[in-house]
Formats: sequence, structure tokens, C-alpha cells
Amino acid sequence: MSLENDPFLNISYSIINPYIEDWQKSNRKVVGYYCTYIPEELLHAAELIPFRIRATGTKDTDLADIYMVRFTCSFVRATLDLALRGNYDFLDGFLVCNSCDHSRRMFELFNLKVFNRENFNKKVPQFYLALPHVITDEGFEWYKKEVEELKEELEKAYQIKEITNEMLLESINIYNENRKLLRNIHKLRVQEKPKLTGSEFLQINMANSSIPKDIANQELNRIISALKSRKAIDVSNKKRILLVGSIVDDIDFTQLIENSGAFIASDFLCFGTRNFNDDVQLVNYDDPLENITKRLYYRLSCPRMMDDHLRRLDFLKEEINRAKVDGVLLQRINNCDLHGCDNMLFTHELKELDIPVLNIDREFYQSDTTRLQTRIEAFIEMI
Amino acid sequence: MVNRVEMENRIIPYKMLYEAVASTQGLVDGILPAHGIPSLKLGLGHIKSVMEDFIVKAGEGLPIIGHHFSFPTEYLYCFECVPVCIEATSYFLAALLPNGSEPYYDLITNWGHPFHTCSSQKGTMGMTLDDLFKFEAIITPTAPCDNTYASYPFFKYHKNIPLITPDLPFLKAEKSYRYHAEEIKLGLEKLGKVIGQEPNYNKLKQVLEVENQVTNLQMEIFELKKATPCPVENMFNVMAAAAQIYLAGREEKLEFYRQMLEIAKFRYKKKEHHAGEEKIRSIWPYMIVFFDLAMGEWLDRHLGMSILFDIFNYNFADPINTKSDLETLFYGMAKKAMEAPMTKQSAEFYYPFIETCVQLAKDFSADCFIFTSHLGCKQFGSVPQLLREALRDEVGIPMLLIDLDVGDARFASEKIIREKIKLFAQTLL
Repeated sequence: MSLENDPFLNISYSIINPYIEDWQKSNRKVVGYYCTYIPEELLHAAELIPFRIRATGTKDTDLADIYMVRFTCSFVRATLDLALRGNYDFLDGFLVCNSCDHSRRMFELFNLKVFNRENFNKKVPQFYLALPHVITDEGFEWYKKEVEELKEELEKAYQIKEITNEMLLESINIYNENRKLLRNIHKLRVQEKPKLTGSEFLQINMANSSIPKDIANQELNRIISALKSRKAIDVSNKKRILLVGSIVDDIDFTQLIENSGAFIASDFLCFGTRNFNDDVQLVNYDDPLENITKRLYYRLSCPRMMDDHLRRLDFLKEEINRAKVDGVLLQRINNCDLHGCDNMLFTHELKELDIPVLNIDREFYQSDTTRLQTRIEAFIEMI
Repeated sequence: MVNRVEMENRIIPYKMLYEAVASTQGLVDGILPAHGIPSLKLGLGHIKSVMEDFIVKAGEGLPIIGHHFSFPTEYLYCFECVPVCIEATSYFLAALLPNGSEPYYDLITNWGHPFHTCSSQKGTMGMTLDDLFKFEAIITPTAPCDNTYASYPFFKYHKNIPLITPDLPFLKAEKSYRYHAEEIKLGLEKLGKVIGQEPNYNKLKQVLEVENQVTNLQMEIFELKKATPCPVENMFNVMAAAAQIYLAGREEKLEFYRQMLEIAKFRYKKKEHHAGEEKIRSIWPYMIVFFDLAMGEWLDRHLGMSILFDIFNYNFADPINTKSDLETLFYGMAKKAMEAPMTKQSAEFYYPFIETCVQLAKDFSADCFIFTSHLGCKQFGSVPQLLREALRDEVGIPMLLIDLDVGDARFASEKIIREKIKLFAQTLL
């Protein structure tokens, strides 16, 4: 069975898709967001589609360069570029949290330059979540209040009488199911004879973040059935790689790696394991919002959480064993200080495991393909 | 028995700084006329005596506490300690040493620190990697930028230095001040446990009262800067930034501001400009160039360009109420910390920053803005064009944007920067 032209995976090639168009035809809303630290279940309970902003396929950032200096992240610049060209005009809401210095400033730029541009007359409500940078009890209380306030803002903005506990519980079930399905697919990749490539897995995750979750769950079930009956991929001549670092939302990059003699057996990416590793634990049925917030706050973190590096390192070590990895590929998009410094520490710490590590920087769009390919091929040969 | 030399060697860069300050002061005193660049002469004198005191205290074995500039130095004076501002140390050395902090930037970059992170932390990280600093603990708020959350874990995870991180929310609201107040209190208690001291809040109050007096003097100087010509020389900006850290909470800082206020008043009455004629009044909404200490003086003398403000010099924080209970005290401390230069602008939306800039331009009759877009500061990477448009539309003045690293001349050299400013100035005259 081939996934090459699978309609679900094909969603990953474009920004807008037929599911979103159908959804909006019945006057239902779509809210764009950048980072997995936002409470998707809450949006879902409000009958909104949380749509993860991507810049897939963007090759330059001419328009965005006017507003963002060249020291900024080319991924975020590319998303702004798309938005300035109207590709995100379908959004009915925009939720930003202070994940990183590049994306958090999109709140102001979208407000002033995207949603306020000439001939764009739609009123797009904007929301902001202030997330602590450390994991503490006090920080949790802060974030819980932030999420509660967001709930009220959503109710007001979209004239929802109340987002009830029942609605939240239903959303939690759908999202937990979604994460379970992704973990099941991940297992099919991690195994010795994998059923899908790292690039296909990335596509599945991207598509999953771009459509209603109940439909996504049906699609993921279908994909799992198809994968189970699929012949295993021959990776006997390839090196098994753990891919770590900045956002990857374009298979150009993963294909570059997998065409260089590697197989991406696992990852530590936000369009990957970081997003589905933890479920919402329903410890308190009277306060499902608290449970949602707990998962978000205490889950496997990204480097924006400054006191949680060791837990991230432990995850890498576990995943290296679990996926029987031959080498670790640390990568960051240029100007990403968060992943750059986390990768710096990983580089030294992983030496203890005696596992080959390559630490590279890149631009979001594949402007330096040959340089990257040479370095990756040399790394694979060295392994 | 404390081994004084061994103890002093926990802060070798401070010894380097002391030597650099002392020799620069010697040169300044020997070369400049009696009234030449008073802010430099006075500032270096005060900083030299404080550095001397720090070295003596380190020799006595007091704990060396590293801190981020967003955690005001004076708050650490509830302990008997030697405070070391991670960022200020890198940049003060960049200003005073012939090769700046470059060897230390290179050390940590070679270790894997990304080239695009902030040089203000790179310098001290390099020095710590080389064991020139031996910190008992480091305290930093979780602000103002990605560099902070990204770079500080190095101290904890590689050098095993206890790292205390009071959370600072990215939101300006009443609840934020209360939250950060609690975080500062918990942070100081935690720090006290690490170094084996109880926080002395009475001593802290005395120190904060000194700072309150300084704030009043600062406001008087700000007010005088509205005059044309500006009665304060550009070098004051550099020395005020250094004083903010090194003289924090001390009588020397009060004395420095008193002296500078007197000089400013004298010049104001006589309508006198430090370097002859003021031709252009500029505001630098972001940082000045730390590796080029002489740039301010060059602007004054060669272009007649005043720097009315830079980001470390438009601080309009309220004084802290030291007369009430501890809760009120911490609330005031949190508010002041969140309103501190750069922390304020980094930890809120751009709108107030742009409004403040427009208002400053109007109130202080600025002719232009010069925005130094610093490689490390991604949190400001999306504002220059918005600010440029606001200044053009609301005040009718231009803004020059320069990409650089304010602490590393190898990114954009002093020559390149000066040339850009010179060409820009020609378009204004």
C-alpha cells in the first residue's frame, strides 16, 4: 500500500484544505496558533478548529523581511510572509502565546499588518496566553488562570453561552484518542522493520494539525490499518537517526536526510513526539480545564522551559534506546536561541553515551541544500 | 583561615575590570582638561572605588552571586555578597579592554554556543567556562528574552552552579506585579538558603531608599534634557548604564547623580553645550554601542549630535514604598523590576514602546531616531519598521536602522557604524 498520493497526507503540502473549507461553509470558525502550548481541547470544545500555523512550501520572505530584521527566525518570517500575501485570510481567530521571541511578536504584526491591511475587512479576534518559563506550583496556578481567562474570552468573542465541562470532557476524549493513534503510528516507525518513513510520519502530524480532530481520528485509524498491511520498509542499509530541534514543517528537509542514507527512526520535534507523548489525565472530572492545563504545563517540554533540560535529555536517552538509534541529528533554524543552546548542552551530554552526534544550523527554506546534504552524508558515512 | 588570594580569584574578571577602569581613569585625568567629559571622570572614579570594595569583599570570602540585569543589583543587598551582573560584565569589559570581551565570546562559541545568541551573556559564559568566575549561585528572572532562558541553563547544567529563576510574566497587569512580587520573595529566600544567609530586609529597605533618591535625581536630569541644547553630554548615557549596575543602591550612585545634576543645571542656565554646538537631537530607542566607548563623544564633537536617551536611560519607574509592610515592599520591587529598562519593553506588547518613543520624540524635540538592531535581541526584531512608520506618520522624523552586535566589533565595526551615522546625519542637516 502506498501513501504517496494519500489524500490525508497530501493535506501537509498546502495551507488551506477541503476540510477547512467545508467547516467554514457552515459558518464555523478556525483559530490559528503557533505553538503546542495552547489548550487545543478548549478551542475544540468551543467548536473551533485549532489550526497550527505553518509555512510549508515557502521559498522566500520578501514581504515579511520589511517587518522582521534578518536576525529573526526564517520559519516565523515565512509564516508572516504567507499571511501578508493573504494565505491566512481564512482564519477567524488568532491565538499567540509567548513560546519564543519570534512567534510571540506575531501578535502585534498580524494585528497591525495582516488583519489591518487594505481591503481586508474581516474582524479577527486575537488572544494571548502568557505561559511561565519555569515549571513550579506557582507557575501552574498562573497558567491555569490564564487558560480560564482565555475560556471567557472565547465565549465572549464567539458568542458561546458557555463552554461546559461536558463539552471539555468530550474534547479531552477526542484529543487523547488522537494522541494515542499518533503514538501507535510512531510505534510502527520506531520498530526494527518500520512501516513508514520519517517524512511520511511528519506529513501525518502536519495534516493532523490542520483539520477537525474527529475527522483526523478516522483518518489516522485508516492509516494505521493501511500501514499494518503494508510491507515493511527496507532500512537495512540505512542509519537510524533521531532528529531533534527546531520546527520542521516541510518534508524537503526530512527527505534530504532520508535520501542521504538515513532513516529518521524517531524525533524530538513539535510536529512529532513532543506533541503526542502525554495525555490529559482525568483526575478531576469537576474541573476538566485544570486537567487540560496540567498536561500542557507539565508535559515533555521544549527549550522555552528553562529549568527542564534534564527531563528533555532523559527523553532523548530513552528514545535512543527505544528506536535503536545509530546517530543523533541536532538541528536548529538559524537565530533560534532556544534550540541552539539546548542542542549545545545535548552535544556535550550525549558524548557520555558514545553515540555519534551532528549539530547543524539551517534556514527554514532549503536555500543551502548542498551544504546540508554534504554534512549529513559525511555524518552518515562516519557512523 | 580565609586565603585572600584564592578568594579574590573567584572574580578575576572584576580584577581585570578594576585595572581597566583605573588605567582609563588615569588616562582621562592625565589627558583631558579639568572640565572635560565630567560624566566619564566622575563615573570612572566612583566605579573604581566600588570595584575595589568588591574585590576586598571577595577576598574576605563573601559569596559571589551572579545575576541578570533584569534582576536589579540592589535587591541582592539583603545579603552580604559580591554581586556580578552577567551582562554588564561582558559589556563593560568590551568597552574598556583593547580586544573587548572577544576572547571570551570565542571560547564559549567554540564550545557550541550559537553565534547568534547575545554577546552580553557570551562574555561571562566564556569567563565561567574558563573558571575565571566562581559563582556560589546565580539568580535571573525568566525575562526578558530567549537568550536568557537559553543561555543561563549552561551555568546550571554544565557548571553545576545553583540557578534561581523567579518567573517574570509576559503580561502587564496588576496580577503580574503580584505574581512577580511573590516570585522575587521566594527567589531571595531560596538564594539565602543556597548561600547560608537570611535575607536582611531592613538593610534592603535602606538600599532601596538610596535608589528612590536616585530616581528623583534622574527625573530632574530627564527634565533638563528637554532644553536645547541638551545640557548633558552623550558619555553620560554610557556611565549611567554602568552606574545602574555597579553603583546600585550605594551612596556613590547618589553622589554621581547629584554631581551630574549640578553640571546639567549649570549648563542649562548658560544654554551651554558640552561640545560647542548641538545640531541634531537624536534618540536611540535601543542600545548604544558598548564596544565603542568613544562614540558618544565623537557624535557630540564631530556631528553635534546629542543622544537624548537610549534604552537604559529612559527609566520612568516609580519609587518603591519602603515604609509599609513586606508585601508592599515586594510589590514595589516587582513593579520596578518589570518597569526596568529593556525588561519593560521586552515583556509586553510593542504598542506602549512605540507610544513612548513617539511621546519622547515630541517632548524632547528629537530630530531623528537611531535604532541599533542587536544580533541577540530577537524580541525586538519585529519592531524597527513599525517604529519607523509611527515616527514618520506621527512626528515626521526619520529613523536609521543599523544591524550590529553592540558588544562585538567584528559583526559591524566602529568604522562602519560611524560612517552610516555620518551619512544619515548629512541627510538631516
